[in-house]
Amino acid sequence: MRQLRALWIRLVSAGRGGNDDFDAEIESHVAMHVEDGMRAGLSAEEARRKALILLGGAEQTRQVYRERRGLPWLESLLRDLRYSGRSLWKNPGITGIAILSIALGIGANATIFSMVSRFVLRPAPVGNPSMLLSIHTWEQGDNCCNAFSLPAYNDLRDQATSFSGVAAYYELIPASISGSGEPARVWGQAVTANFFDVAEMPMTLGRGFTSSDARVPAVVLSTQLWRRRFASDKQIVGKPITLSGKLFTIVGIAPATFHGIDQILDTQFWIPLGVAAELVPNLPPPGSREYHWLSVIGRLRPGVSRSEAATELNALARRFAVAYPKTDQKNSFVFEQAGSLPPRERDAVLLFLSALSLVVLLLLAIAGTNVANLLFARAAAREREMAVRLALGATRARLRGQLLFESLMLGLGGGAAGVLLSLWATRALSAVHLPAPVPLDVSVGVDWRTLLYAFALSVACGLLLGLAPAWAGSRPELARALKGEDALARPGRRWNLRSLLVTAQIAMSIVLLSVTGLFLRSLRSAANIDIGFRHQGLLLLSVDPRLNGYTPQQTSQFLAQLRERVKALPGVDAAVTTDVALLSGGNRSDGFTVTGHSAKDSSSTSTDLYMVTRGYFEAVGTPRLSGRDFGGEVANGPKTAIVNKAFVDRVFGGTNPIGQRVTGGGTTYEIIGVAGNAKSRTLGEATRPILYRSLDQNLGDDPSLSGYTLVTHTAGNPAALAEPIRRQVHAIDPAMAIFNEETMEEHIRSAFFLPNIAAALFGVFGFIGLVLAVVGLYGVMSYSVSRRTREIGIRVAMGAQPGAVERLVLRQGLVLTLIGVALGWPVAWIASRFAGSFLYGIQPHDAITFSVVPLLLIAIALTACWFPARRAASVDPMRALRME
Amino acid sequence: MGGKTDVWQGTLALMVLKTLQMIGPQHGYGLARRIEQTSGDLLELNYGTLYPALLKLEQEGYIRSRWGVSDNNRKAKFYELTKAGERRVSKAAAEWEQTTEILARFLSPAEEA
Repeated sequence: MRQLRALWIRLVSAGRGGNDDFDAEIESHVAMHVEDGMRAGLSAEEARRKALILLGGAEQTRQVYRERRGLPWLESLLRDLRYSGRSLWKNPGITGIAILSIALGIGANATIFSMVSRFVLRPAPVGNPSMLLSIHTWEQGDNCCNAFSLPAYNDLRDQATSFSGVAAYYELIPASISGSGEPARVWGQAVTANFFDVAEMPMTLGRGFTSSDARVPAVVLSTQLWRRRFASDKQIVGKPITLSGKLFTIVGIAPATFHGIDQILDTQFWIPLGVAAELVPNLPPPGSREYHWLSVIGRLRPGVSRSEAATELNALARRFAVAYPKTDQKNSFVFEQAGSLPPRERDAVLLFLSALSLVVLLLLAIAGTNVANLLFARAAAREREMAVRLALGATRARLRGQLLFESLMLGLGGGAAGVLLSLWATRALSAVHLPAPVPLDVSVGVDWRTLLYAFALSVACGLLLGLAPAWAGSRPELARALKGEDALARPGRRWNLRSLLVTAQIAMSIVLLSVTGLFLRSLRSAANIDIGFRHQGLLLLSVDPRLNGYTPQQTSQFLAQLRERVKALPGVDAAVTTDVALLSGGNRSDGFTVTGHSAKDSSSTSTDLYMVTRGYFEAVGTPRLSGRDFGGEVANGPKTAIVNKAFVDRVFGGTNPIGQRVTGGGTTYEIIGVAGNAKSRTLGEATRPILYRSLDQNLGDDPSLSGYTLVTHTAGNPAALAEPIRRQVHAIDPAMAIFNEETMEEHIRSAFFLPNIAAALFGVFGFIGLVLAVVGLYGVMSYSVSRRTREIGIRVAMGAQPGAVERLVLRQGLVLTLIGVALGWPVAWIASRFAGSFLYGIQPHDAITFSVVPLLLIAIALTACWFPARRAASVDPMRALRME
Repeated sequence: MGGKTDVWQGTLALMVLKTLQMIGPQHGYGLARRIEQTSGDLLELNYGTLYPALLKLEQEGYIRSRWGVSDNNRKAKFYELTKAGERRVSKAAAEWEQTTEILARFLSPAEEA
């Protein structure tokens, strides 16, 4: 404690001047000593001498006293800091450019890392997340991973001893919520009664479910829904709420951070699994082991390791395989920490994030090279100052430390500015609407992990940047530097630091620009993709009458009535209904075979299924190539279908399919027509086979969980139709929730989301990279040539022709450039292979990108050499010699 | 041996505290002389090391200082023990006694036998 007190006092008095007090004390000490000495008979002079000897020298004593009073190392540190700050301040241009370059680099890295932090590193918002596992089933030979059947979950829960609790949930349930305000559609989950206990989730208000709730219509709301629909009513627990026309009692409000175990789905309510059938009419039969529909989480028992749990799960899988050979034979269990990326998407997300991380790290490296070059140039300009300080007795270590300090301050300054940039960038990213039929929460922000990362990067950046200039700058050749000559250019050395910088710069620029070039080319070609239907004049608007308790027949009638009313609106050319609009990311699909041929030709064709009404193709602008349109289908009559050209090519080898029968998903359809191809799920897909079936004929036995979409065509502005159509919907049923209301242009724009966001991110970073690379390359090249003005002067004075000198400099620049290209090009080639899965309509080894980028960089490098070389060669040799 | 001994590292602080306890408030010069006298002039005290030691004790809160006037009517800085200093003296003195006793047993083991 006493030491701490002393340290505090020293810290406070560090850096303060004022030796007056101690001077007075010493003075009085000496005076008393002299008096004593004189009293003992010494002369005044002798007494004073003796007193000073015994004191050990007044100045030395003062020095020791000073060191004890403050903290000497801290003081010299502060002095160095002040000095560094001053010298940075004196060169606002260089400092500004350096900080801006680093800020761009760190900002880009912090932004991308905030995505990594959000999607890869952040644990689930549950209690003790490291002990909570998501468990999946995995059938051999199939893609990982699948959900559980209800009996399989029950077996696991009852038999696994590694877990203190195992809970299950059904991932996505749509419901319309009414009450005060316009009805809205929200998404929830059905969970086992122990779900919130296993998740160790304390409620914001009320409680989670207990075992007595298992078959009770109780509901837990998300904080967000509670705020939005109920104005944060503190008395809400115990009140009833209507979900899709069914009464539920609110028992609790989940914490604001919790949107489900999965951190991407945006879940708004939770109901007990036992009452899920109230909201989901076509729930799988509970006793069946064949339907995999439940996600499972397990809380590890304390003291049980993950490998022990894995061993037990393997043993259980073998036991179930013996007990249920029909369904569980090839099954095994896998798990990962709950809240991790879903296994199916993990690889794609990780690949995307690593590609972006590579790009931004390169960006930072290029920015860093620029700044290193700037600092290096400044170190050269300051070598006289360094030489003088060395000559006056400063140690090299001190000078080095000080130069490092300067670059560290640049790094931290740039880092701070970069974090500000990334605050803005993450907000912009979070504002992007993700196109998906279900609500997703993909907001990103600068969290503590990102801050830590940015700080570490800034420090590393500052130190690396300063290392070379500090090393070189603190050891000028004294004699030459004091004379004002170039003391850093060591004669006779062919490879100096600057050549290294040039080569590295070119190599990194090649990689960065090739990768971004690919993405930008891909965006251009994505814009030219033929989607197979019209962009303009269409309005989409979805309803789900089933959620309001409509029977299939009533739903069919409602939709027909709505179409009639909308068709009667002024300006409307056509109004048709489909289940899900094309380009919504995916819908129903089944494997199809030609009926009767199935024995001979067993390979089935995976086909996307859509339900449409008569006139759909004319309304959306997809051509009907042959056969007839739907019309007059009845629910229990023979099923008919219209297929697209890709289906005909794939299943019938291009022969006329009209009148043929195909079977898929247990249903046989007669083909009555053929339509043109259209993009079904995503823009980037290879054209898929599509089978359109009659909406009225199929919504009974195969209802759409995503609702039904009214597609309205008008010659005018489709957005203007939204309000009149909403009124027509509510005129038929005021309680009907309307969702996914958008024009086709907006819908397609959101389908462009992935290529757009990828191209935007790569484009922005690529452009910054290009500017930095061009500026930096030019700077590095022209600076290193201009340092040779004197040498060029000598060559010219000795009789060299200016043209020959220019060629010499250009040749040397070209050699460096080619080495850089030779190093960077193969890396870019390999890197682009990984980017392949995000590219639309171009090959990863796109010839144009891979030839234009190197040529561009070579041109820049040569231009950067040529101007200063020409200038140097054209000046009067005498002036060139005197210049330095 | 004979002659004068340098002050051992760490013992000066205890000497200062003990002296202050004995004679009350005193200035630096007086303290130095007093320490030398107490040692029977066996110690050679470098007066220059006394002041940093005083400063350290003051920073640690064992002593405090104020300006006053000496016997010879000279302005001088006087040091005196604080409460913490009093406690420190008794504790450190006891520790020293124990240490020296233990060491004495090692240095003349014959007496034990």
